[in-house]
Amino acid sequence: MKVPYNYLPMQFSEVEGIIADWNKLVQSTEFTLGPFVERFEKEFAEFIGCKHVISTNTGTDALILALKALGVGPGDEVISVPITFFATIGAIVAVGARPVFVDIDDRYQMDINHIQKAITPRTKAILPVHWAGASPDMQAIMTIAEDLGLKVVEDACMAPGGDIHGKHPGTFGHANAWSMHPLKPLNVMGDGGMVSTNDDDIADWMRMYRNHGMIDRDHNSIWGVNMRLQPLQAIVASHVLKTVSNTVEIRNKNAHILDEGLKKLADCIKVPSRPAGYRDTFSLYMARFKKRDALMKYLVGREIEAKIHYPIPLHLQKAAESLGYKRGDFPLSEQYAEEIMTLPVHQYLTTGQISYMIQNIKTFYSKQ
Amino acid sequence: MPKWTVPYTALSEEATILKKDYLAAFEKVLLSGRYILGPEVSAFEQEFAEYCQAPFVLGVATGTDALFLVLRSLGLQDGDEVITAPNSFIASASSIALAGAKPVFVDIRSDGNMEPALLEKSITPRTKAIMPVHLTGRPASMPAIIDIAKKYKLFVVEDAAQAVGASLNGKRVGCWGDAACFSLHPLKNLRAIGDGGIITTKHQWLYDRLKQARNHGLVNREQCDFWSYNSRLDELQAALLRVQFRHLDTQTEQRRQLALRYNELLRPYVIVPDEGPGEYCVYQTYVVLAEDRDELKKYLNDNGVEALIHYAMPIHLQPAAKYLSYSSTDFPQTMQHVSRILSLPIYPSLTHEQQDHVVTLISGFFKKRA
Repeated sequence: MKVPYNYLPMQFSEVEGIIADWNKLVQSTEFTLGPFVERFEKEFAEFIGCKHVISTNTGTDALILALKALGVGPGDEVISVPITFFATIGAIVAVGARPVFVDIDDRYQMDINHIQKAITPRTKAILPVHWAGASPDMQAIMTIAEDLGLKVVEDACMAPGGDIHGKHPGTFGHANAWSMHPLKPLNVMGDGGMVSTNDDDIADWMRMYRNHGMIDRDHNSIWGVNMRLQPLQAIVASHVLKTVSNTVEIRNKNAHILDEGLKKLADCIKVPSRPAGYRDTFSLYMARFKKRDALMKYLVGREIEAKIHYPIPLHLQKAAESLGYKRGDFPLSEQYAEEIMTLPVHQYLTTGQISYMIQNIKTFYSKQ
Repeated sequence: MPKWTVPYTALSEEATILKKDYLAAFEKVLLSGRYILGPEVSAFEQEFAEYCQAPFVLGVATGTDALFLVLRSLGLQDGDEVITAPNSFIASASSIALAGAKPVFVDIRSDGNMEPALLEKSITPRTKAIMPVHLTGRPASMPAIIDIAKKYKLFVVEDAAQAVGASLNGKRVGCWGDAACFSLHPLKNLRAIGDGGIITTKHQWLYDRLKQARNHGLVNREQCDFWSYNSRLDELQAALLRVQFRHLDTQTEQRRQLALRYNELLRPYVIVPDEGPGEYCVYQTYVVLAEDRDELKKYLNDNGVEALIHYAMPIHLQPAAKYLSYSSTDFPQTMQHVSRILSLPIYPSLTHEQQDHVVTLISGFFKKRA
């Protein structure tokens, strides 16, 4: 039995609606921003319960735009985590600031107990990540930030459809970044991203900066960039947005079956705790496995497309050399990088496929 | 919105002609499940390399990103200077500033492109690169610019955003400098249905750096050599671009025929954009120099012709450039140019009837005033 990680051909097998809108777009020739982009921004703002959504070309651009809009720049430090996608840290460096890492907790989220000691007079912002589609303790992070007058940028790239005590991820921080990369719960057929904020001035600035710093066609107030969401992709996003809640619900059901199955192997597998009041999106289903590399090889050999996100924590990447970190600085991040594995959890899995995964993992450990 | 007799573009009509092929390309990508840097991007890059006779080609998200990523990858330091023209689209200069360098402007020739004779006196010990712009699809004077660059050991980055297919002395733009940056924006001759950009370079080292730079600095899925950006040409756009690319040469010839026809019909009234020796222009915009430009533009607009100005305010006078301390007396040729330029509708599906309408209005305007 094949258990593929990539579900995109299945997701986009029914595309009449997208093609119909795409036809309208071609007739309208609004290929730069325009009504389809604005429509999606409004829909997403409503979906997460936030005043402004400014779409961008990528999730990376969204992080850069959010940091820039909050005035983060050279000489500033931004606190984030070493277990995340490269772009989280790339964005901090892109605006000229210095990334400062803190370790993660056993749910792979920023450990709020480590934030205080990472703060220096140069700290400007905290950038927590909703890693895997779970959420850090945003209330606690906001309290710390407010006490110290720091800005917060949530990396909510994996979090559309999540919930934290009745509030959507990406609505806590001052400006928050989202991605619509193909393997996210809210995805387009290429790259796309957005920033959410409740601040009118920040929203205005971001709209200007993402489109060459233009006030109007003839005037540029600042050197800006081009990080516009493609209207073609905005159309896809609008269509997929209608399905996100359902997608997240199915992913939760699948994750629950996996949780129950894997918990029976508690000696070999550590499933992260799932505290009450949080709805994760299961953008990734991750757990920690003994003999991870051998297990992964075994599963891949049985056509189960397991992955690792990611085997090298970011403070140990070549790109981070100049930051002066070393092995041992973030013990949990380093340990988990050797133990974590990601299993398919997507909305097109059958119960048969899920059982097949659990069964094969059991078989692997029973042979050890 | 006024209903134009002669609109500035005909994107919808032109997309409709290719609709069947577009939809097929769209569906193919859709069903492939490969949406990021897949086979369509690779194939488009290869086709573009052959077209430009450039050894290395890389698709990126936008034309602006192309300029920005190339400049960053050249290793510019804060305080380095890059020389460009002040009468371009804002991205020519903003990409320099955002890459950490200082934009330095030189005046233009009467044809709208950078004046090579003025370059030397703008070169300082901090100058790292010259960025000529092939404005309107007319090649800049590359041999003279490259001679100066060689003399001072400077990089040459062609801003070829408007000039795909243009050539000088039989050699296409995109293979003159160390690198060239093309825009695939909807209003360009080779266009996506959205944003896109593409870079050509003659250097393996620059290509290798850029290939990582456009994709987070990643060596592979797990390893990151340097913190960078995400600037990838959409797989979907690459597929659509390949459809239109097959028609580009025909469409360029159609544009050129229309431009030549405009030239002959409008010569008595305005300064027309004749080709210089060895130039093969692709007329991304067809720009005339007119007396009483503002009144003429209004007259044309009032009579159903969507004439535009590219660009009404030169970059050195933009609020964004204020810190560079240029003034309105710095570049006389640019200022004269900017006050007279007028872009007339030009696209492959423009009919002679529409063109005659434009010409009749212009001749009528000037006869009335004579």
